[in-house]
Amino acid sequence: METELLCAQPTLLVVDDEERILSALRRTLRREGYRIVTSESVHEALEILDARPVDLILSDQKMPGMSGLQFLEEAAKRCPDAARMLITGWTEEIPAEKLEELGICGLITKPWDDARLKEVLRQACDAVWPVANARVGTASAGSGR
Amino acid sequence: MKQTDRPVRIVVAQPSVPVAGVDVRAALRRLGAGVDLEVVADAQICIDLCAAGEVDLVVVDYALAVHCERILKELRGDGPPVVVAIRDASDDVALDVFRRGASDCVALARDGEEALPVVALEQIRRFRAARDRGAAERRIRHLEQYNENIIQNMNSALLVVDMDGHITFCNPPAGKILGEDPKALRGRAVWAWFSSDEEEVSLLARTLSTGVSYKGAERIVIRSDGTPVPVGISCSPFFDSAGEKIGAVTIFQDLTEVKQLQSQVLQTEKMASIGQLAAGVAHEINNPMGFIHANLFQMAEYLTDLRQVWGRVDDLLQVVRSGDLETIQAAGDALAGVMREVDLAYVVSDFGKAIRESQEGSERIRHIVQDLRDFSHHDSSEHVLADVNQCLDSTATIVWPMMKQIVVLDKDYEDLQTIVCYPMQIKQVFMNLLVNAYQSIEAKVGESGETGKVWLRTRQRDDGVVVEVTDTGVGIPASHIDRIFDPFFTTKKVGSGTGLGLSTSFGIVKRHGGSLTVDSKEGEGTTFRVFLPVEAEFDGD
Repeated sequence: METELLCAQPTLLVVDDEERILSALRRTLRREGYRIVTSESVHEALEILDARPVDLILSDQKMPGMSGLQFLEEAAKRCPDAARMLITGWTEEIPAEKLEELGICGLITKPWDDARLKEVLRQACDAVWPVANARVGTASAGSGR
Repeated sequence: MKQTDRPVRIVVAQPSVPVAGVDVRAALRRLGAGVDLEVVADAQICIDLCAAGEVDLVVVDYALAVHCERILKELRGDGPPVVVAIRDASDDVALDVFRRGASDCVALARDGEEALPVVALEQIRRFRAARDRGAAERRIRHLEQYNENIIQNMNSALLVVDMDGHITFCNPPAGKILGEDPKALRGRAVWAWFSSDEEEVSLLARTLSTGVSYKGAERIVIRSDGTPVPVGISCSPFFDSAGEKIGAVTIFQDLTEVKQLQSQVLQTEKMASIGQLAAGVAHEINNPMGFIHANLFQMAEYLTDLRQVWGRVDDLLQVVRSGDLETIQAAGDALAGVMREVDLAYVVSDFGKAIRESQEGSERIRHIVQDLRDFSHHDSSEHVLADVNQCLDSTATIVWPMMKQIVVLDKDYEDLQTIVCYPMQIKQVFMNLLVNAYQSIEAKVGESGETGKVWLRTRQRDDGVVVEVTDTGVGIPASHIDRIFDPFFTTKKVGSGTGLGLSTSFGIVKRHGGSLTVDSKEGEGTTFRVFLPVEAEFDGD
């Protein structure tokens, strides 16, 4: 029953090497209805994606070992249906074409505006949720056989 | 210039057909083949030849009449001596030619032809002797003027003092630095400007008492208006021609501008490093700002939740006084409902957590800003006791956000004795080394997703402390290694390096009496090693 309940919620993977950011994002999105999975390392995050697909990915840009853009590119290979977004405190310009090319649907800057963050996530979720639902549906059908 | 070496040249002015018994040319042939005789019949030609120079003597036949007069008139007082040859000398004629400026007069018929060469030689000897003496005098005057010009026009100040320290000579730049008219300085005691305090007897005083020379020391001269002027100064004892010490000579330059320029270069280089770091620092501040900002909004929501709960608690307290069990029960249920609704247990525990995390975040920002403020400070003029580990670590904190994506940092600090230094300058050196290490790794790994490693190692030695910054970057080609400390040497592309980082660092470490050395292997990495003595002696303090 719990599984079903979880399946009814879109899953959001948040990746940031800063634990405090993860904690604050959890707080902010507490009542937004996502199942939130967090990771402080890109490598751990890729392992999570290997283990199970997610619906939304929000990643920091500047992290040890791999940039957020590189991570999101890798993530797309493992989880092509997920909506991917970047959150950055870095001041360097990330060109819109680059984001488009990598299929990244949102860019949030730190410090973020709570309302805008929620809005970006909601829109991204609306775009992928039917797909995810369909996938969840197939998966349930499969398991029900 | 030695004109005596050239052959003797005599111009003979006589009629084209000599008057019988007066052949000047023939008479002068007795002087031999070494004498260059030029015969002319016209005064103008003779004068032109003399004007062209190198004529030792003119011998004119009186028979040339007006030409003879003209030659005497034109050459009088300027040019070679003129000897007039006449056939039979009457005293009147002789007197007349002397009056007109002739140097001598020979009567051929009376004195004999042999007399002419003798007179000619004597005139030539006198003329040449006078001319050489004139040239020597002119040379001496020229040399004196030349030396005087050098001393007056040289950029450096020159000052000569006697054994008591009284000024015997000074040039205009010296007057300018001391703030006095150079002429008014003669005879005054030099100690008014060059202090000879007990602690640090001035170089000049030491040169006077011991005869030792000093070169290129940096000292302070007190100008007459009280302004201290930094000077680079050299002193040496002054001996007279008998070899006896009669005072001292000192040369000094005003270093005010040089000092300002040095400080500007330091500042420029520092600002360049800061520019590179600004983006990284912004990031490091934006992160804590991000969660503090978000937490504040959440805490405001938590407060709303708590107010709701408090409202129900208040209700409950009201009804408790009424004593009606059912009403109390209902109020209790309402309270429990709201507590469930807002997830009170979570709110209470997370409220505290949010506060702690935000406090920690704001503390982090405060720290960054403090480090940055320390770093952007203009050099404090004081050297102080400082902990090199702390200098290194706070610099690493500033640089870290810039490097963290591609660098793994390994810190290995040993407890260090505090040393006397200018901490801002030392931090600037560490900053340069860290930025270099980062850029070297960046050049190697690029966007590959690989990382490089940087080790920060500090060691205490008997005589000082050693700091090593080692990276696994591209390394330095052997062909470059001798030049990396040269000013403006850079391999970075235009705009990303000033080429001053390492040379500035080298200068800073050297001023601290330490050393900055490098080991590098192309393709494998580089170690920069800074040694700083515990007790540095600072120039000019």
